[in-house]
Amino acid sequence: MLLQVRNLRCGYGSLEVVHGVSLHVAAGEIVGLLGANGAGKSSLLKAMVGLLPAWAGSICLEGRQTRGQPAWRCISNSLVLVPEGKMIFADMTVRENLLMGGYHNPDRNLQLELVLQRYPRLAERLHQLGGTLSGGEQQMLALARALMARPKILLLDEPSMGLAPRLVEEMFAEILKMKDLGVTVLLVEQNAMATLRIADRAYVMETGEITLEGQAADLLHNPEVKRAYLGAAGREGWEG
Amino acid sequence: MNIFDRRYETMPRPELEQLQLERLQALLARLRRKVRRYRESLADLRVESLDDLARLPFTTPETLADAFPYGLFAFPLREIIRLHSAVGPEGRPMVIGHTRNDLTQWSRLAARQLAAAGMTANDVIQIARGRAAAAAASGYLLGAELIEASVIAEDPLHLDYQLAMLQNYRPTVLITTPTHALDFARCLEQRRIDPQSLHLRSVLLSRNVNPQIREQVASGLFASVRCTFGLGEILDPGLCVECEAGQFHINEDQFLPEICDGELVITTLAREALPLLRYRTRLAASLRREKCICGRTGALVEPGQRLDRQFRFREITFYEAQIAHVLAQTPAAGHRFEVQLTETQLTIAIEISQDLFANTLTSAENPRRQIELELLARLGLEAEVRFVEPKR
Repeated sequence: MLLQVRNLRCGYGSLEVVHGVSLHVAAGEIVGLLGANGAGKSSLLKAMVGLLPAWAGSICLEGRQTRGQPAWRCISNSLVLVPEGKMIFADMTVRENLLMGGYHNPDRNLQLELVLQRYPRLAERLHQLGGTLSGGEQQMLALARALMARPKILLLDEPSMGLAPRLVEEMFAEILKMKDLGVTVLLVEQNAMATLRIADRAYVMETGEITLEGQAADLLHNPEVKRAYLGAAGREGWEG
Repeated sequence: MNIFDRRYETMPRPELEQLQLERLQALLARLRRKVRRYRESLADLRVESLDDLARLPFTTPETLADAFPYGLFAFPLREIIRLHSAVGPEGRPMVIGHTRNDLTQWSRLAARQLAAAGMTANDVIQIARGRAAAAAASGYLLGAELIEASVIAEDPLHLDYQLAMLQNYRPTVLITTPTHALDFARCLEQRRIDPQSLHLRSVLLSRNVNPQIREQVASGLFASVRCTFGLGEILDPGLCVECEAGQFHINEDQFLPEICDGELVITTLAREALPLLRYRTRLAASLRREKCICGRTGALVEPGQRLDRQFRFREITFYEAQIAHVLAQTPAAGHRFEVQLTETQLTIAIEISQDLFANTLTSAENPRRQIELELLARLGLEAEVRFVEPKR
């Protein structure tokens, strides 16, 4: 198991939003984490990388406890978050953005070459300011910047958000290619169908709890997935 | 070793326990949200480790029968695409539902058993269920189709026709009940048909039997014999895999087993339609978690005796209450009776009184025959009815 999370609780102020979540990701997997707005998915990711204090539980990367470590240490540990909304540095060039991603990596210039080979469109715009890129290119830059840290596991938070439908397809194809690079992916998405088409397994989260785990192909047929995606409460059991 | 689902069947224990904890937590969240009876009993109970399982409430066969027909379903009926029935405590009916994903999962679990028994896409499989095991037969069918074997979709009731199918279709695998397998063997012997002239190489029995019966079937049908072990309310086949070493491994990625007071207790971790929390199976069993040469990591279970008053005769399970219910429709209504069961004979001994024959001019033969026919028609039981003197 590359990443193992057990009974993780976190929240804001006195409000707990993640109520004891357990999940795991094996090396080489793409694992989806689905759920409606406000289910606690992004908070869970933030707690995993130390951006939000975890109140309880454990987070182990390759068997080593990482809970309580600052975010910069998580990146050194090859656990890298690509946050929601791209969050690129708009006033920096593409090159500077990428080098920031490999800040702790002594071989960052070599890594930069590898990343640019992979994303030739970014190579063409190397000296352009990040903020002047199109939405799709900015998302590509965010992904490329994460690869600069040579991650073992990428946590992607809503990478398709705000992208045109054609670009969404490209983005998911790009995530699927991460497998070839040996990068494991935990993918938080509201686009449930697209996620389940590329993922090996997935979890469904509702109001701070995991309610389903299974193979992605199976969850595609699960009506609860649709309900979680649409944000309905799903209290539809037989009440006879 | 023929392992169908290597990832889950040979999952290292720490990884398996993580998966079980995740699935148990998700199960509790679903039960609280979707099944009213569990919502009340679970309240705010949560688990942080598998050891916490012991704090959770049991589900009993009585709970399931009380919830008849759909009270414990976690999905509305429109999501349920198959319904099976099972015999509950004292013969009360229980309904087992499956969603599409449940059936997909069932096919995989059945395929695990078939693969472990050495079956492949090259096999021709005949599923002969006899008078019983209709639900189980559908599970084997799902598994056989998944491994892409050729399945004979006919199951004639008469032994003659089944024998003709064995000779004409040349199946390499026979999946059947122990009773039916012995009937086949006896039939071959009586007709002086050499079992080697058939093409059978493997027989899969629908339940566990003792080594003597295995040997009888193996020599009578000239094939290797394997057994399955399942439970109708949980999954049958699919709860376990009998491995190459003859051990029953629980599919622990799907079912969390415990032994409570000597009784096997199962929590279904991935069932959608009818998830069961700590279901008391009313079956004595022992559980071992040790390495097996087959490489599977699921706990080893050794099934024992029933702990309730359930009888089985020629693969049909029944309770005394069901016999009483049938007798109530006959002249023997209200008379005391006793079930006498041996390997080959089921006798219902009914205590007679004068009123039993009050309207019968001839003899005791008519009511006796009438009761036997009722038992056959209503329960499928081929029983001999005997009238005995009342006990003092």
